[in-house]
Amino acid sequence: MTDNLIEIEGLRFSRGDRIIFDGLDLVVPRGRITALMGPSGTGKTTLLRIIGGQIRPDSGRVIVDGADVPKLSRGELFELRRNMGMLFQSSALFTDVSVFENVAFPLRVHTNLPDEMIRDLVLMKLNAVGLRGARDLMPSQLSGGMSRRVALARTIALDPKFIMYDEPFTGQDPIAMGVLVSLIRGLNESLAMTSLVVSHDIHETASIADQIYIISDGRVIGEGTPDQLRDHPSTMVRQFMLGSPDGPVPFHYPADNFLDDVLGDA
Amino acid sequence: MLRYLRLLGQWALDWIGALGRASLVWFWSLAGLPRRGDMTLLLKQVYQIGVLSLIIIILSAFSIGGVLALQGYTQLSKVGAEESVGLGVALVLLRELGPVVTGLLFAGRAGSAVTAEIGLMKATDQLSAMEMMGVDPMHRIVAPRLWAGMICMPLLTVIFNAVAIWGSALVGVDWLGVDAGGFWGGMQDGVERWEDIGKGMVKSGVFGMVISWIAVFQGYDSTPTAEGISVATTKTVVYSSVAVLALDFILTLVMYGEFK
Repeated sequence: MTDNLIEIEGLRFSRGDRIIFDGLDLVVPRGRITALMGPSGTGKTTLLRIIGGQIRPDSGRVIVDGADVPKLSRGELFELRRNMGMLFQSSALFTDVSVFENVAFPLRVHTNLPDEMIRDLVLMKLNAVGLRGARDLMPSQLSGGMSRRVALARTIALDPKFIMYDEPFTGQDPIAMGVLVSLIRGLNESLAMTSLVVSHDIHETASIADQIYIISDGRVIGEGTPDQLRDHPSTMVRQFMLGSPDGPVPFHYPADNFLDDVLGDA
Repeated sequence: MLRYLRLLGQWALDWIGALGRASLVWFWSLAGLPRRGDMTLLLKQVYQIGVLSLIIIILSAFSIGGVLALQGYTQLSKVGAEESVGLGVALVLLRELGPVVTGLLFAGRAGSAVTAEIGLMKATDQLSAMEMMGVDPMHRIVAPRLWAGMICMPLLTVIFNAVAIWGSALVGVDWLGVDAGGFWGGMQDGVERWEDIGKGMVKSGVFGMVISWIAVFQGYDSTPTAEGISVATTKTVVYSSVAVLALDFILTLVMYGEFK
């Protein structure tokens, strides 16, 4: 058993003519929090889906817990995913059942636990995200930030070995943000979980991540601990860590010259 | 010219691709043994798909039965054969109108709902979330809807036929004054168990299978946007209706045709 839960080598993936990943290498060590950052549209969510086996890459190795994900059969893939959790950017709560049933869902499907025990477990998980009182609400009655927290409670319901968080901090108020940061950190330490966090919130992410990968143009442009990255030799990496608009990382989606575009013949 | 050929080829490829994906949906959702809790999921869908379709089925059946009796009576009474109204209505309903009209209504009421529901689940990542929890949405979401459709469609056809025949009796016997003995007696003598009832039910079973398949596939294969779901829902109703009418012709030809 290696001490890396995930090893990605030479990952290539394109969507139509657009190349998303062009030889990406990445390693997620066991029991650590690894963060994935980068400009919008660099395929961070796509990478999470490739790791979860929902998208097949064009080439490259994606090893998760010793298994080469793109080569797994449908059955093996579902087996592997039982040890994974993923927090979706859109929360993805089941809209036809209550908050309680949402969190209970993985427990009911994957375990034979009696109802009282499921109840206790669900309430514990909801309490951890501060929403024990909201158990009878329907997902449509929740705000975006609350849905995200319910989704987190559902993700950790089965105490998976490995969790992928897609933008966990978006839409959270400062108090909830602080609680979530310590919750993710705490889960990692107390349950020896491995986490992969995709986020734009540099300060929050830097405060919990053991190592950070910065992705741009389909490859890793910087990796290291938060402190190392702040003093990184690459101006691109520093620009991103400091959040300055001017620098080698373009703010604009590729386009023609602005003046030509606006003043050109219409 | 070349452009049209290319478009034709593209269209054919898309179509074959869709057919392949649809077959996979069929295979993956029905493969595997039933698991704990599957019955609850199925019953919920039987309620959603079958029980909630009852009102439209009953209302349509009643009015169609009544209209058939009215039309039959006006024509048959000219030759003094108004007592054959019962048999005529029963044969038309059991062989053709029962399965076909139920199929069309079923596609519009239940098929569209299934497509929209699955499409919206896809658009809101609920299907992905389920997959990432190690639960196969084919098994959990698609299969119960497929089975429920296949179970409900024949049952709804039976109800449709019964209500329509009752409606025709109400109009023919109670209102227009056709002799009750002749009305029901003619029906009993003329209707054959397999030839009329059985073959009609075969049609209904086939329609149920095809409509449910189209509905779940269109939902599962939809583009996850508001427009994509609207397109998928429309496709379900259009494809199902065309399939029902075309299959009805083929099945009638095969089962009742002279050249076997």
